[in-house]
Amino acid sequence: MTSTIRERIFTTRTVLPLAAAVAFALPGSAAVAADEIPDLDGIWQFGTCATGFLSCMVLEEDDELLTDRAKAYRDAIDEAAQPKYDCAPMSIPHMWTDPYAYRIEQLEDRVLIHYGKDDVTRTIWLEGHGHEEPAVNEFFYFGHSTGRYENGALVVTTDRFTFDPQGLNADFRIPSSTQKRVTERFSRDGENLVLEVTTIDTFFLKEPWSFRVTSRPFTGEWEDSWQCDLEAARHSLRLLPPKYPNDPPIERIEY
Amino acid sequence: MSLLSKGLAILTGVLVSAGVLAHHSTRGLYDEDREIELTGKVVEWRFINPHPYLIIEAEDESGTVRQWDVSYGGAAVVHLRRQGYDADTFKPGDTIIVRGNPALAKGVYALLIEGGRHPTRPDGTPVVKGGSMF
Repeated sequence: MTSTIRERIFTTRTVLPLAAAVAFALPGSAAVAADEIPDLDGIWQFGTCATGFLSCMVLEEDDELLTDRAKAYRDAIDEAAQPKYDCAPMSIPHMWTDPYAYRIEQLEDRVLIHYGKDDVTRTIWLEGHGHEEPAVNEFFYFGHSTGRYENGALVVTTDRFTFDPQGLNADFRIPSSTQKRVTERFSRDGENLVLEVTTIDTFFLKEPWSFRVTSRPFTGEWEDSWQCDLEAARHSLRLLPPKYPNDPPIERIEY
Repeated sequence: MSLLSKGLAILTGVLVSAGVLAHHSTRGLYDEDREIELTGKVVEWRFINPHPYLIIEAEDESGTVRQWDVSYGGAAVVHLRRQGYDADTFKPGDTIIVRGNPALAKGVYALLIEGGRHPTRPDGTPVVKGGSMF
């Protein structure tokens, strides 16, 4: 009994202060000075570039950043095979080019980002809270995101993506590999939110691809539910001539 | 069903595209150098995500009545709602006039009306107030 009490005292007096000290010493850990944490909570209009509407964050069809492998994939795969025709959402970073508002919720141990399209909710697991890392064989459509507060910004690193046929651009059939890593930096500039995004994927990008956009507070009506309709998503497919006419026609699964 | 309309005024010229939605989901599907006008009756209006669309019956260039698929391109419900659309904007049997780019594919009767080219009633009144979709 005495021993148990001693152990408890040891825990309280020694381990907790020690843990707190370590926590303060580690950037992005649970204990972050209040002025380091930007107020990102709220609903934001989609981000726009300093130079134009969305141009800075669109990877072009023949972009000089694309590897030969990316171009070969783009030319080989047909538009009809894009998952967007099955209501699949667009993952990051391409998601940010879709002009929809988004909502950020800052919680103690995580940050939630709800996108106004495709019913997307991303969870950013803040470092220093003992969150489990995914197993080595686990991959995710939106990747696995961890975050930390640093110099007045939320810095999010996301990797562990599944191979994604529309992972870098859904319009030009530019995929992303399991080697995609996206770094997002969210900060405030007055009443606006600044988002800086850098993507690496050495299979499909020759160099890191970066853009910076600014969002105003959103003043419209937030719609919580997207409710993609499968028939509507597939509706325009009938306008597409088959790229591989000798193949059997595509019979899509109903679900 | 008596079809009131007809008429296809073919207007050629390069259109000023809306160019506002990031995803060129209609890219390469419509003839961007050609614009046609149709007067027809509404068969179905699907105000639904990801992209609302309208089905109308109208005559093609040969005078044959066809079902035309009228698309707002990459716009979603939220975008059209800001311009005044809702689930009751069109009712089956309504007569409307639409102007847009015809589909490139042969034998496909479809029209792209994005870029603020809102349908009008027979008296020329636009069906919605319009304005920015953002």
